[in-house]
Amino acid sequence: MTVRTLDGIVFTQMVRFGAQHLTNNAKKIDALNVFPVPDGDTGTNMNLSMTSGASEVKKMDSSNISEVALAFSKGLLMGARGNSGVILSQIFRGFAKGMDKKTELTTKDLAKAFDMGVSTAYKAVMKPVEGTILTVVKDSAKVAVKEAKNENDVIVLMEKVLREAKASLKRTPSLLPVLKEVGVVDSGGQGLVTIYEGFLAALKGEELPEGVTSEVEMEEMVNAEHHKIAQDFMDTSEIEFGYCTEFMVKFDEEKIKENPYNEEKFRNELSELGDSLLVVSDEDVVKVHVHAEYPGEAMTLGQRFGSLINMKIENMREQHTAIVGDKKEIPKEKVPYAIVTVAMGKGLKDLLESLGATIVIEGGQTMNPSTQDITDAISKANAENVLILPNNKNIVMAAEQAAKLAEVNVAVVLSKTIPQGISAILAFHPDNGINENKEAMSKACGQVKTGQVTYAVRDTQLDGITIENGNFMGISDGKIKATHQDKLETVKQLLESMITENDEILTILQGEDVSDEEVEKLVNYVEDTYEDVEVEVHNGNQPIYSYIFSVE
Amino acid sequence: MSIELNTTDGQVTITTDVIATIAGGAAVECYGIVGMASKNQIKDGISEILRKENFARGVLVRQEEDHLHIDMYIIVSYGTKISEVAHNVQSQVKYTLNKSLGLSIDSVNIYIQGVRVEKD
Repeated sequence: MTVRTLDGIVFTQMVRFGAQHLTNNAKKIDALNVFPVPDGDTGTNMNLSMTSGASEVKKMDSSNISEVALAFSKGLLMGARGNSGVILSQIFRGFAKGMDKKTELTTKDLAKAFDMGVSTAYKAVMKPVEGTILTVVKDSAKVAVKEAKNENDVIVLMEKVLREAKASLKRTPSLLPVLKEVGVVDSGGQGLVTIYEGFLAALKGEELPEGVTSEVEMEEMVNAEHHKIAQDFMDTSEIEFGYCTEFMVKFDEEKIKENPYNEEKFRNELSELGDSLLVVSDEDVVKVHVHAEYPGEAMTLGQRFGSLINMKIENMREQHTAIVGDKKEIPKEKVPYAIVTVAMGKGLKDLLESLGATIVIEGGQTMNPSTQDITDAISKANAENVLILPNNKNIVMAAEQAAKLAEVNVAVVLSKTIPQGISAILAFHPDNGINENKEAMSKACGQVKTGQVTYAVRDTQLDGITIENGNFMGISDGKIKATHQDKLETVKQLLESMITENDEILTILQGEDVSDEEVEKLVNYVEDTYEDVEVEVHNGNQPIYSYIFSVE
Repeated sequence: MSIELNTTDGQVTITTDVIATIAGGAAVECYGIVGMASKNQIKDGISEILRKENFARGVLVRQEEDHLHIDMYIIVSYGTKISEVAHNVQSQVKYTLNKSLGLSIDSVNIYIQGVRVEKD
């Protein structure tokens, strides 16, 4: 039978079949999705777009193919979802326009419509990425144009278009490196092939091919699933389901009679056991890929339907450990030097680490780390020489005790404040001996003046100053120099007592209760008042102290 | 302005220009976007499509405390579903920045500065 023209009635059927076939395969296309963003929704998006197009067509009752195609393109655009959905809507927008309002299409008209679809789709993008649905639609349309010159059977033409679309799809990994890396074909391209398969089936008046479209290989879907998993976890201990399990069940007639096989039901049962699940079946076998904690259970489920063949189980935790190496368990080689210090607040911790501290123990005023905490940090640092910066006079004792207990060389630098600790770290030199370093770092502590601003928790009298509960206090190197109800006023008084003509740099460590505007105000004040002083601000996020100043 | 990353081997400083260029490059790979546009259309000329080296003019990177926000100014193709194109750009930019710089972006705001109409 030769079909010379294509009308609206047949095209309506083609759209219906294309949409249905896509719906049947959406999940599998999702699994292939690694480009542009591997979020596994290409099939779902294309399906929703296509369904919207098909429902517009359903509302029409026309034998005029241009009208049907326009309705289709409108529905696609309204329902366009995701990158692939938008591209699909553009392909068929051009396709509809390319018909020149004809009521029926010959092969030449059809080829022209395909070609128009390609150019419309390409026009809408600044940088077309080859190896995607765009390439597949372009290659197949090219064949349509070439073949239509000598071919006037619409079915034969569509067969050739589909064949080329499949061939083009197979070539996508060689065009797009990310596909090659993962070992899959493009998901959007696969979607288009699926639609074309539906088109051809409708044209031929055949039933829709059941189940999976022929081109999606189980292998590819497994690759894509593994790729996504690999992106998700970084830590071996985070693998929830430890065994990558693959097997096939060869259906047994007797067993099937007792236990009728239902793919969806089987998939649901398996999904209870693990993730990264793929189930593909035909009349003879079902293929399963699943990451499960108890692979035996998955196989037992499969055995109800027949015998197991081609089984493969891999321990992913072992594989992962082998790949990344378990950093926590393999002992590191001893480093020559480590600096252990104490600070409170994430900003301060980050700051100290960025300067070279190996381990920052959480603690400080009101929360002094114990000797045990420091001893633990020393052994964790795994170094031949350890320098401890307590950054608080209340921690010095604990630090010295820990130093006595330690099996490696430990020196305690008497840093009593955070700014002193920072200066000390800066004075550290890895090429010098531990005693030399201790000396240099202790000296550096003395070269910096520390100012701290906090609030009083009770009425008191100290250093000859009366302080009321709730007022702010400015402390300079352990001595209270200023107190006031207003924070900024306290800061001003404190800085006045601290900054002398010889000072060049003021470093402000912003506490967790201080807003950026407040700091800005303060910086402006300092710049206006002390013209020769350079101001540096770091977000220390420390509790208790609104500000910590270091003056050098 | 720049963003600092601490690694075990030392510090990496990335200027916002780099972020803007990568974000712009990722965006123009998306379907339906015809180009990046300047955020100052009056000053830089209306409807001018930015070339790769000028992407930073159409991409604004803002850092608020620990959060990164990106504003992108784009021109889309006529006849595409603008909300979807914008959505694609958002997820693509977010993904690419995460993949290439390890940055986690809190928001990607899209400003459609124009629609290019092609003659059919």
